[in-house]
Amino acid sequence: MATHVESLDNGLKVILRPIPDTKALSTWVTYRVGSRNEVPGMTGSTHWVEHMLFKGGGKLAKGEIDHLISRVGGKMNAFTDTDFTTYFETIPASDMDTALMIESERMRNAAFDPKEVEAERTVVISEREGAENQPEFLTEEELWGLAFHVHPYHWTAIGYKQDLARLDRDPLYAHYLRYYAPNNAFLVLVGGFDPAVAMQHVREAFSPLKPEPAPPPMRLVEPEQHGERRSDLERPGATDLLFAGWHVPPFAHEDTPALVLLTTVLGGWRGLTSFAAGDWRPRSNRLYRALVDAKLATDVAVRQDLKIDPSLLIASVTLANRVSVDRVEAVLDREVERLQKAPPSKAELDRAKRQVRSWQRYEHDGVTFQGILLSTLEALSAWDADEPLLEKVERVRPEAVRDVARRYLVPEHRSVVRFHAQEVPG
Amino acid sequence: MNLPDRSVLDNGAVLVSQALPSNPFIAFRGSVPAGMAAEGPEHGVAEFASRLLLGGTRRMSAAKLADRLEGIGATLEFHNSQELLIFSGRCTRETVAETIRILVDCLAQPAFPAKDVERVRGELLNDCRIERDDPRQRAYRELARIVFPRDHPYGRDPKGGEERIRRIRRADLASFHEAHVGSEGFILAITGDVDRHLIESAVATPLARFRGEAEAAPPPPPPPYKPRNAAIPMPHKSQADIVVGAPAVSRRDDDYYPLLLANLLFGRIGLFGRLGKDLRDELGLAYYAYSSLDARSLGGMWSISVGVNPSNLDRAVQGIRGEMDRLRSEPFGVQEIKDGKDNQVGSLVVSLERNAEVAAELHRMEHYGLGMDFLERYPEIIQGLSDDAIRAAAAKYFNPASSSLVLAGPIGRSRPSL
Repeated sequence: MATHVESLDNGLKVILRPIPDTKALSTWVTYRVGSRNEVPGMTGSTHWVEHMLFKGGGKLAKGEIDHLISRVGGKMNAFTDTDFTTYFETIPASDMDTALMIESERMRNAAFDPKEVEAERTVVISEREGAENQPEFLTEEELWGLAFHVHPYHWTAIGYKQDLARLDRDPLYAHYLRYYAPNNAFLVLVGGFDPAVAMQHVREAFSPLKPEPAPPPMRLVEPEQHGERRSDLERPGATDLLFAGWHVPPFAHEDTPALVLLTTVLGGWRGLTSFAAGDWRPRSNRLYRALVDAKLATDVAVRQDLKIDPSLLIASVTLANRVSVDRVEAVLDREVERLQKAPPSKAELDRAKRQVRSWQRYEHDGVTFQGILLSTLEALSAWDADEPLLEKVERVRPEAVRDVARRYLVPEHRSVVRFHAQEVPG
Repeated sequence: MNLPDRSVLDNGAVLVSQALPSNPFIAFRGSVPAGMAAEGPEHGVAEFASRLLLGGTRRMSAAKLADRLEGIGATLEFHNSQELLIFSGRCTRETVAETIRILVDCLAQPAFPAKDVERVRGELLNDCRIERDDPRQRAYRELARIVFPRDHPYGRDPKGGEERIRRIRRADLASFHEAHVGSEGFILAITGDVDRHLIESAVATPLARFRGEAEAAPPPPPPPYKPRNAAIPMPHKSQADIVVGAPAVSRRDDDYYPLLLANLLFGRIGLFGRLGKDLRDELGLAYYAYSSLDARSLGGMWSISVGVNPSNLDRAVQGIRGEMDRLRSEPFGVQEIKDGKDNQVGSLVVSLERNAEVAAELHRMEHYGLGMDFLERYPEIIQGLSDDAIRAAAAKYFNPASSSLVLAGPIGRSRPSL
């Protein structure tokens, strides 16, 4: 697809993808800051800053962002990831200037009114408490904490409740000023527009913003793990869970294509981002057959968490009632071992490749999904990384899948969390 | 956008299609009238059967079916709902004929293998346990049960409860499917990378082989409703959920559009309307605070959902009550209503930007008999609503005296009421 890329003098990278025949436009501004840029004691600050950027500032009074977007029938939201923070509006293309003005104001002029910061404290804590109601969140938080001792992937983007209870306005505002600048951001536009005209509007909205000193790079590197790490959570819940995470390289690494196929063979494929997949549950994969078909589990998923820094490949299992976690873990081990012993058959690998190829199209469903795909890829490596990745996936040989299974799915690089559901108190 | 194409095949199946040339694939959504309304007293059988439709056919085992479907990179899902058995999926131009053949095979010749019946039984029982441990789901389920009492299909648990799940046999599933799944009442909406020739050759042709007369099974009218409060203590949870609601209207009711706008302004627009502005933005009480309107063929329900720290339960319930009262003391203003109408007209572009969204909308248009020109007429319908009708709908339906309240989570001894 034709895509126009240009950088403004202030360092803002602009990625424009015109889509003929569409009247919608999706605007995405992404900042190269996530919870990986936080330090202990300030966990959750990037996410809290994201919340504050809906509260106005500069030309925008409180509530005006909401009003401007909703009156044109638009949708908007923002996401804080470990590696980046992104804001979007999907609106009728004729309202492009509204979105550009909002994002330009957001970049440097957010108000951070102390009263509003305080009101938002309970909102972010409430968001965390809602997540805590789900045992899967508690289990996954434990897994990242176990697997990463030095790197900030140790905590999740929402942060710890203790930090959220104590953080003050001034450090939050400083965090915002440090990372929110045109030279630490990029803009993606997807939809019904002429690129030359759109570029002119982008210049008018963003060129007046000055570049800022580059934020300090995140230098922490997770030391190699020597030996399996395990944790058993015993909490009230409905079903037992088993989460296993193996250290894998960053998204941009040369082993990623083979790991994508390893993930697909083991647990099916749902796209590079999970947004387009919805409730889709792949069933032709090895763990589904070995665990769900065998009535040992009611759900299983495998995902390679694509990140800037070395990350995890995670298998998560919801156990069937009265099945022992030991037994499920033994089956998981057996399936991993099977992949390490022998490469997948050509038919199995072809099926996996076909899934990855199809999902690449499904992730292009509409301007919003294309916006998030381009933004995610650019934040991790390059906006157009999917095509070369797909080409490399096509060339992966069965032996390469076996080889990455041998290299990465090893017990000494693995962390395991077992959630033992305790009977819910009456 | 041109008007969608609609055709009725010789077997009674209705096919609605819309080309969206900029989309690189095909999305579809369809249904047969084999949802909970068709169950009669056999509660849970529609949900159970729907989960087995990917469990293999007379020609293909479940494993072979999954291999074939995923081997062409397609997706296919079945979902049970109150009125319909719904299916949806994605494929490409090159794989659409094969995907539709698989769909027809799943619907026409499901095998309901004994092994998979037991697998699904286990999954349903696990889902019951998971739902029992989820305050948000429990609160909403209890509200639906209060609003649609006496086991009405709009209010009861689609799974039928643990006792029913244990009792359902393979023969029950096969006879339910035989009686209710056929080409009569079948709807398929398909969008994206399609054209008339492709629809005729790769979709209509395999669909024409689908036969079977299904028994029409409209839901019974909702029984009389009495508002009441309920509390579900779950002391081990972090956050409490509050839901409030009452009966609303059917999709074809005269009050539907005024209530749609009233609901939009009350708890949906932007960061969730008046409710979100007060409970989240001003008071900082909740991460989510919104209202919903669910309108079906013979009735509907509106509801409010708020998740709060248990120490804020009383304040949040007071806040909800305050916003409901304000609909009478300070009705929607002229500008507020204009913004809502503009939102609905503008949202036609935004809410139909995805292939799957267009397929879902086309399916709704056919199911509710809204006409293929519905999207063309929608702006007129909305702009034609009087301000007074919208305010009156808000006052009539979002009425504390006739609303029910359910609390779930670590609620302690707190039992606030509206």
